[in-house]
Amino acid sequence: MKLLLEQVKIVDPRSKYNNQIKDIVFLDGVIKSIQDQAVNNKDSYDRIISKNNLSISLGWVDCFADFCDPGFEFKEDIETGSLAAMAGGYTSVCIVPNTMPSLQNKTQIDYIKNRSQHLPITIYPIGSISKNELGQELAEMYDLYDHGTIAFSDGWHPLNNSGLLLKALLYIKRFNGTLIQVPIEESISKYGLINEGVVSTKLRLLGIPTVSEEIAVKRDLDLLKYTNSRLHFSGVSSPHAIDSIYQAKKEGYSVTCSVTPYHLLYCDEDIVNYDTFFKVNPPLRSKQDMLALRTAVLAGKIDCIASHHRPQNYDSKICDFASANWGMITLQTAFAMVQDALPTITSNQIAELFTYNSRKIFNIPTATIEEKQCVEITIFSETDTTELTVANNKSKSANTPCYNRHLRGKVIGIYAKNKLIIN
Amino acid sequence: MQLTQKNLLGIKDLSINDIQTILQTSTHFKEILQRVSKQLPSLRDLTVVNLFYENSTRTRISFELAEKRLGASIINFTTSGSSSAKGETLLDTVKNILRMKVDMVVVRHSASGVPHFLAKQTNAIIINAGDGTNEHPTQALQDAYSIQEKFGKIEGVKVAIIGDILHSRVAPSNIYLLTKMGAEVMICAPPTLLPKYLKEAFPLIHIEYDLEKTLRWCDVANVLRIQLERQNQPLFSSLREYNLSYGIKKNILHRIDKEIVIMHPGPINRGVEIDSDIADSEQSIILDQVENGVAIRMGVIYLFSGSPIAVNTK
Repeated sequence: MKLLLEQVKIVDPRSKYNNQIKDIVFLDGVIKSIQDQAVNNKDSYDRIISKNNLSISLGWVDCFADFCDPGFEFKEDIETGSLAAMAGGYTSVCIVPNTMPSLQNKTQIDYIKNRSQHLPITIYPIGSISKNELGQELAEMYDLYDHGTIAFSDGWHPLNNSGLLLKALLYIKRFNGTLIQVPIEESISKYGLINEGVVSTKLRLLGIPTVSEEIAVKRDLDLLKYTNSRLHFSGVSSPHAIDSIYQAKKEGYSVTCSVTPYHLLYCDEDIVNYDTFFKVNPPLRSKQDMLALRTAVLAGKIDCIASHHRPQNYDSKICDFASANWGMITLQTAFAMVQDALPTITSNQIAELFTYNSRKIFNIPTATIEEKQCVEITIFSETDTTELTVANNKSKSANTPCYNRHLRGKVIGIYAKNKLIIN
Repeated sequence: MQLTQKNLLGIKDLSINDIQTILQTSTHFKEILQRVSKQLPSLRDLTVVNLFYENSTRTRISFELAEKRLGASIINFTTSGSSSAKGETLLDTVKNILRMKVDMVVVRHSASGVPHFLAKQTNAIIINAGDGTNEHPTQALQDAYSIQEKFGKIEGVKVAIIGDILHSRVAPSNIYLLTKMGAEVMICAPPTLLPKYLKEAFPLIHIEYDLEKTLRWCDVANVLRIQLERQNQPLFSSLREYNLSYGIKKNILHRIDKEIVIMHPGPINRGVEIDSDIADSEQSIILDQVENGVAIRMGVIYLFSGSPIAVNTK
């Protein structure tokens, strides 16, 4: 395919063209030329993308999404999850192992790879740390790694067993692997439903204090320091936890972290009237915490945005708050949610948060937007608006409070594996 | 008499006028309840379902009596023997019942927010008969009514709410109602039975850990039940120790040398949060609360039915 992107802003802090507006010509996935104006006859292109205020960056990576497949295909499957991801500008997605059965042996990993190989985007399975995510015995991580597992995590059920976590951190050093933990100490958070605070007290829902996250982060960091391994915290919601992670990073430890779009856009004050679409874990924190999280992102203390895309079917959410399942779908709106929450975010920060850092942490192939480079790209507008509707939602599920809300920023499409997908 | 709300989801949503209207209306009904003929035909075109997903004696009987006294047609639903035991969802159950032309749903459930959920999903009139640890509005109304009956007013009365605040739905409803009506409220419990942000959520209340100090301060002690069925984590060491530290006992009442009114929403754990001789004493108005509960529920059903009755349009 020969593709011309006319007058697009290149968002690539590592490229000599960063922040410049250029015509870019792709030929079969490789950048053929980057010029102020492409000289060729326009009839010679298979596709031309020409629109005001477009930007491109290296294809975005999501490092924590749930495609529910196999086992929970009534919520999402690899096809629909990928469609949502593509519509959200992602060219690579790391999926959590909380399937049924768990992604804990090579057969499951092969299933994911086989089911996704024809797709324009790349799906990277995250393998279980422990068998059946029970936190008791190690899964066969070497075999999983050899079959293409990108990282290890017990997903939505973080490993709270310190002894096993220590062993897992040591075990993965053989191949310089990375563990991902959602920071939750379940002995504190077990009965909680929303953030502990004034809102939980008024709604009379049992609270999950931020200390449940902070204590988990501190414990895991101590184990990281002891093992000198690699650890990524996904969906951090407490500013104190972020400070602890940032401090350890400054001390030279291999620790990174991500936040979700919903922790940046929403806070517990949005949970009026027991709206189950806001039931997520870690929970939406106080407004003060949300603002501190936004500041931390802008200050460069956060490595990536993790969608924490977690589909739930109708009956799992249209019920009372205590009975409702956790999670929100976010892949399609993640970029606009972040832009909406952070109006002053720069293009370079978007590139770092949505693609470069995740690629570096998880050893996902990277490239620079320059001539002769083979790159997958995301095409987006920082000024247009996104509106998720029943008609354009690609996910099989609909558990999001973002419906019919105008969010700043819009994904135009992706170009990956020499396929152009335009929204 | 117009209320600001279509449903009684909680005291939180009621205005002072709403509360006064309910209390005044209930006074008329209490008067009628003293007569030999207690039956009224007021709501004979109203059909009410009492949807009890959780055990109840007082509240269920009180609602049922109130509905019968007003002449409403009633259906009683409990989970045992129903299709919810077969896995039918709450919403399916309610939609099916409403399709049989039921106008009002009186609901009790173990999860906070269930009445709010039903109010969003249906057009029926929803009356909260206790939801999880959230609210128990009719209990708070009968408690306030009983205080008013005893003191001739609510404003300025010092009310202590003592016990398991963490699991109680009576406590928040009482706090909302009493502070709206100008009473002073003190909360007394061991720290493990108090939500951490209680003071921030309800700035007008006082919080005290010491029972004797609380009793010295108050005019009324509303003693809450230790909700043993909700204790899924260790919150105090033993019932014996709870009784020693927070039980209302004769010796402590003697020590404070002051006649205070004792209330309890029931059911009582005798010898735990209150000793029998106090519960049955002259200073206890526990059974008055129960009696007033019927009048209050008549007032609530009468007013929320929008008499002449609201029509179920769904």
